[in-house]
Amino acid sequence: MSEPAAGPAEIFDRRLVRLRRDRAAATVARVAPILDAAAERLLDRLDDVTRRFARALDLGGRGAVAPRLRARGIPFVVSADLSARMAGRAGELAVAADEEWLPFAPGSFDLIVACLSLHWVNDLPGALLQIRRALVPDGLFLAALPGLGTLQPLRVALAEAEAELRGGLAPRVSPFPELRDAAHLLQRAGFALPVADVEELTLRYRSAAALFADLRAAGETSAVRARDPRTPPRALFPLAAARLPAEADGSLAMPLPLVMLTGWAPHESQQKPARPGSAQVRLADALGAVERSAGEKAGRP
Amino acid sequence: MSDEARKPKDAPQGGAVDPRLLEILVCPVTKGPLRYDRERGELISERAGLAYPIRDGIPIMLPEEARKLD
Repeated sequence: MSEPAAGPAEIFDRRLVRLRRDRAAATVARVAPILDAAAERLLDRLDDVTRRFARALDLGGRGAVAPRLRARGIPFVVSADLSARMAGRAGELAVAADEEWLPFAPGSFDLIVACLSLHWVNDLPGALLQIRRALVPDGLFLAALPGLGTLQPLRVALAEAEAELRGGLAPRVSPFPELRDAAHLLQRAGFALPVADVEELTLRYRSAAALFADLRAAGETSAVRARDPRTPPRALFPLAAARLPAEADGSLAMPLPLVMLTGWAPHESQQKPARPGSAQVRLADALGAVERSAGEKAGRP
Repeated sequence: MSDEARKPKDAPQGGAVDPRLLEILVCPVTKGPLRYDRERGELISERAGLAYPIRDGIPIMLPEEARKLD
């Protein structure tokens, strides 16, 4: 088995991600409200689309996406997950698949939804390219990713606590993409009419222990390859927990900014910018304005 | 032979896979076609020299889980 040729830097340990999701298959129902809220907001975008879909792929939806797609009248919904157990839990037509090695023939789906799953992928451009190819022309891709600022108070508290205990830092919270990067990635993967926007979701916890329990239940504990293999000092998590900024009532607010991505597999019916120089009417005439020369170096009006 | 005794022999190894899935699955490495081996409960990619297992009716399309063909 060959590794991906000249692949990008491996930030995440994919084997560990799979293991975490395998274990989380039994506990993920505990975080269903969060997954449901994210799926609900992402799939709201289907309301703005007049097109009907017949063949959908739920990529890593953890049980929050496939039932909603079926409820919208889509007859054929495949659920894929890195963990077979999680895929089997998510939907009736289940496949264990790696987003970096998608096993679907070109044009297999007219809708692909990746809700809170692509943030553990090393080769995001490669995954997006494969997703685009698995779509029919004019097929739709929807994704939600945790954006920059996700779990930021936790990141800061852990960093401070660790610096104090050890005088050094280990990455314990994943890097998250910025909105600008996300939109650019869609374009690079050849999606038409790419749109990226952010929806703020704030999770409230009674305690830091409840937050850590949720992260474990969801299979979202760190799988960063460069994570410190040593057992963290016993005092690390309690100290970090004590440093988390609490609200007046003692609760913790954890931001989960969701980067929502929309892109279409290219099709000739889609609107496109006109070719430069292809205009039939002068802009000045269309605006009813008088055109003035911008100087000697400018071309003739 | 009773129906009960015949059952395990007729049921495909690894559990039944929905034929609609078999229609769209390709080898994740080569993106080439797969051959369904009912006896062994595997999806074979000749070009990659890999056999992907089927467990509980779920095709495991992960290169690291595949059996290398001789």
